[in-house]
Amino acid sequence: MGQTLSEKILSRACGRPVGQGEIVFPEPDLITTHDWYVVNFAKVLDELGVDKLFAPEKLLISTDHEPVATSPLAAQRQRQVRKIVERYGIKHFYDVGRGGHGHVFPMELGYIRPGMLTIAYDIHVTNYGALGCLGIPVVTEITEVLACGSVWLKVPHTVRVNLHGRLSPGTLMRDVAQRLIAELAVDDVDYGVVEYGGPGLADISFAGRQVLCNTPIEIGAKSAIVEPDQHTLDWLAGRVRQPVELIRSDADAAFHRVIDFDLSLAEPQVAVPPTPDKVVGVSQVIGRKIHHAFVGSCAAASFEDLQAAAEILRNRRIHSDVRFFVTPGTQQVLSQAEEAGLMKVFVDAGAAITAPGCGVCAGGKIGPLADEEVSINTGTRNDFGRLGSAKAEIYLASAATVAASAVAGEIVDPREFM
Amino acid sequence: MNWVYRGRCWKFGDNIGIDGDMMPLEFALKRELDPKVLGPYLMSGIDPEFAGKVRPGDLIVAGKRFAQGNPHIQGFLGIRAHGLGLIAESIPRGSFRNAVNAGVPFLTNCAGVTEMVETGDDIEADFKSGLFVNHTRGLSREFPPLEAQLLDIIAIGGWRLHLERRVAMMKASQP
Repeated sequence: MGQTLSEKILSRACGRPVGQGEIVFPEPDLITTHDWYVVNFAKVLDELGVDKLFAPEKLLISTDHEPVATSPLAAQRQRQVRKIVERYGIKHFYDVGRGGHGHVFPMELGYIRPGMLTIAYDIHVTNYGALGCLGIPVVTEITEVLACGSVWLKVPHTVRVNLHGRLSPGTLMRDVAQRLIAELAVDDVDYGVVEYGGPGLADISFAGRQVLCNTPIEIGAKSAIVEPDQHTLDWLAGRVRQPVELIRSDADAAFHRVIDFDLSLAEPQVAVPPTPDKVVGVSQVIGRKIHHAFVGSCAAASFEDLQAAAEILRNRRIHSDVRFFVTPGTQQVLSQAEEAGLMKVFVDAGAAITAPGCGVCAGGKIGPLADEEVSINTGTRNDFGRLGSAKAEIYLASAATVAASAVAGEIVDPREFM
Repeated sequence: MNWVYRGRCWKFGDNIGIDGDMMPLEFALKRELDPKVLGPYLMSGIDPEFAGKVRPGDLIVAGKRFAQGNPHIQGFLGIRAHGLGLIAESIPRGSFRNAVNAGVPFLTNCAGVTEMVETGDDIEADFKSGLFVNHTRGLSREFPPLEAQLLDIIAIGGWRLHLERRVAMMKASQP
């Protein structure tokens, strides 16, 4: 019996062959956490009497949840984070204005390769699956990984999704990713890895692959991963020095389910409150008045997302009832968007630009919602209270749908603006 | 550690939520971790009297996706506060970890277990072997037990104590 891609990655990290269902303590290649959990893990390490990390060279910390401190307390926390970084000798620290979103920029900077295992505090580390790296979040148990080098994991089963066809005009990969988690069976995906392959994958960009790997965790997946291919090699060329191996599932690997999914959708997709998998065609929610719109988050951090929004906003103005925030995912994305003239388009349209990172999506620390307000955005979650008031409504959609709706002042089909 | 629990059955259906059903959300938001504080509110969203009725050794028998929702640990700390065991048809990923980390003895993937019991039955579960017995109805079945490594974490009392022991062992092995 062959192995799945995830089983291969975990076998290497365990130093022996492992199979689904086994409890293992794999040693990750990379460990990540963000600015809002550094003080917390350091406190627990102090309580445990741990004064040095098991492998400080593996830890990458990003100041992405609150890059621009919004209170004296937050500034104080940033100062504590910098002291902790120094105290534990952490080299891979990306502070304000340096990297951007920690689920994205490490892929730009060559930290991520196919076949790697990353264990993280934060759940959307699954984005690294875009390059064939298995990213597994463990939340507070990251402290055990930092102190002892590993934490228990159950080797997950794999749901293989074979992609077919091409995107329909006016839809983005975000539409596909939302539709897909609405259709996957929660019980199949629970504690499993969603693995993407199939003939439709070849045409999907790196940015599109990130979005596909971002959403399955919302329905209980352990992670998501793309079968690395020529496109992966092209992206990594010039970014990594190490040789890249195109590690894949064996032909006779035991998949829990194999699903075929057609990329061509009849219309753009919108997730309605209160969960990201409550997804309807945009025609079902057209006309809903909005007050707030946002393009950004680890689910839409790329140049392509900004480009899709800018193409709609060019020579148009944001509706007077709407405030529109744009957060480029990373410093590189911002730089690229600036060069391409996209930032001018946003500014001319009346958008507010924020520092690279999570943007509004990090719990609404910046640009939150008031009672009775309605937002459409590209964030990851739409629970009541996610972005401020629990009496506000959040709709999730592609950057194109968000931008078009921001112009119209109500949810619209972006194809009318293309 | 005694892995055999015998007590009264408390039966719940499918899709019991972590927040609201098992424990008021406010405790998760406050990051309350004290079992003494959480215990009185266990299952209060479904039965406000529940915490006053259960005794150590009693067993919660639940359907599919027990403790579904945003994986907060507080509901499981509430179960632990009362010394209850848990048998479920399924437990989603995040809550599975939390059940282990709270030190709750449990069996999961127990297909059909809710059809074998009613609340108040005299039931028994061996969490090490997976043997489940309903003494009231004369039924028994073997379910998959948890892996030894996870029983080990539960036996010591949950994640924090497990981590303290692991750190102590690492320090002891250093020259």
